[in-house]
Amino acid sequence: MSKPLEIMNLHKRFGGLVAVKDVSFKLQPGEVVGLLGPNGSGKTTVLNMISGALPCDGGTVRIGGTDITMMKPHKVAKHGVARTFQLVRPLPTLSVAENVQLSLAFGKKRHWGREARALAEEKLAFVGLEGRGDERVGNLTYIDQKRMEMARALASEPDLLLLDEWLAGLNPSELRIGIDLVQNLQGQGMTVLLVEHIMEAVRALCSRCIVMSAGEKIAEGPSAEVLQEPAVIKAYLGDDHA
Amino acid sequence: MNMKTLHGFALAGVAVVLLACAPLLISDYWTGVLLGMTGYVTLATAWALFSGPTRYISLATVAFFGVGAYTVAVLNEVMPYPLVLLCAAGIGMIMALMVGLSTLRLAGVYFVIFTFGLAELVRQTVSWWEVNVTYTMGRYIFLPFEGRHIYWQLLALAVVTFLISWAIGRSRFGLALKALGDDETVAAHAGVDVTRIKLLLFVISSTIITLVGAIQAPRWTYIEPSIVFNPTVSFMTLIMALLGGAMRLWGPLVGAVPLFLLFEWLSVSFPDHFSIILGLLFILIVFVMPNGVLAKIDDLRKGGRT
Repeated sequence: MSKPLEIMNLHKRFGGLVAVKDVSFKLQPGEVVGLLGPNGSGKTTVLNMISGALPCDGGTVRIGGTDITMMKPHKVAKHGVARTFQLVRPLPTLSVAENVQLSLAFGKKRHWGREARALAEEKLAFVGLEGRGDERVGNLTYIDQKRMEMARALASEPDLLLLDEWLAGLNPSELRIGIDLVQNLQGQGMTVLLVEHIMEAVRALCSRCIVMSAGEKIAEGPSAEVLQEPAVIKAYLGDDHA
Repeated sequence: MNMKTLHGFALAGVAVVLLACAPLLISDYWTGVLLGMTGYVTLATAWALFSGPTRYISLATVAFFGVGAYTVAVLNEVMPYPLVLLCAAGIGMIMALMVGLSTLRLAGVYFVIFTFGLAELVRQTVSWWEVNVTYTMGRYIFLPFEGRHIYWQLLALAVVTFLISWAIGRSRFGLALKALGDDETVAAHAGVDVTRIKLLLFVISSTIITLVGAIQAPRWTYIEPSIVFNPTVSFMTLIMALLGGAMRLWGPLVGAVPLFLLFEWLSVSFPDHFSIILGLLFILIVFVMPNGVLAKIDDLRKGGRT
């Protein structure tokens, strides 16, 4: 079901600052890839350009051969790209199930009514929120809100899932739950691009990593190798450690 | 459709029939009160259609209301009445489209300020036009309507407004509206065309408001900008919707009925202090029940159970 993602020469500037410079990479269907780099290196900006939240100043984004470069977020969503947010963003007026039903109703297909409710329960069960659809989002714990956000992203039936530090802020046992959940997705053949700082998660989940620094891609390859590269260590820890 | 909805419809149907028969049984004075009340119930419900879920607080109510009234004043001797109403609806719709396209990107307080400014702009423009171009300051409307005729038209419009509000509330657009009121970014990334839905709802809401002004216009016989563009209309609509609860179908009705009667009594008994009391009420409602009476009752019920 998943489609490949292809990014060519992506470029973004904010005034005089070049936030993303000529970044290119590809994701094969079913791959889980980590997008790493120190704070301010442009990872989230890349994610925002893929999902349509920010217009890019140059380059192309293709999903399964379709050019989605300058599309608005709702169009990008309908072309099969779903995302979560750096800080969890539940919709407090809606119930847990309604949060998920929103993506069902406006995602790739239009699911509505009883059928949508059943599908929402299915998605909630997948992330471990079985039977909690009627609860208020505000009553959920932090990890459960993150789970709900994952279910909401999955409900639009994406070909590509963008996770922006989805595992940040979890305690060790919650982190285990989170990693397992992403691994389940991987088992289903979902393509995932993961912006992440937690190395434990990156090692467990990503076969491949892309590392950015100061807006440029500085390394790409199998996770174990990339994390050893002097340029990567230098970007994270400074000259003395390289 | 389940039993509960059917019961609701049956009950609402009976209520509408009773309300429609009322003018045959009560005095002209009370028909007039009923007329004004139905007008405000419709205004508040139409206002809440857009501003309730999206939380875009609009003070442009009177801009559309006044334009509706003025359309009738200008056209009532030129073409048949049904056509005049159609024209009013069309003008309201086009104005809402233009305003919506240019302002729905504004958020929060900027939108409030813009809509308030818009109402003043329209009023000043109409005044200027009448003084400098048509050389009139006021206009007469001679239509063979009695209070109850106007009341029946308003009642019909109110029923249509409730049906639209009900239908939207249970459709996927209702869910999208609530979602974008919470967080537009999240709604957009879930696939909601945020701009289009906001625009659509703003146009529907504003068109209904324009029609309320158009239908009520013959009631005045003589109109001028200071009468039909009175900003109090915007504020009263807003506070009625807020008192009942702008997020619920029946909220604006629950707020509009008691407040209309109260304002009616206040304006007769304390004509000089009316504005002060209105302002105080405003503050009180926002502080004590920011989500409206219906939400408050729900809270109290839940509180009683646990």
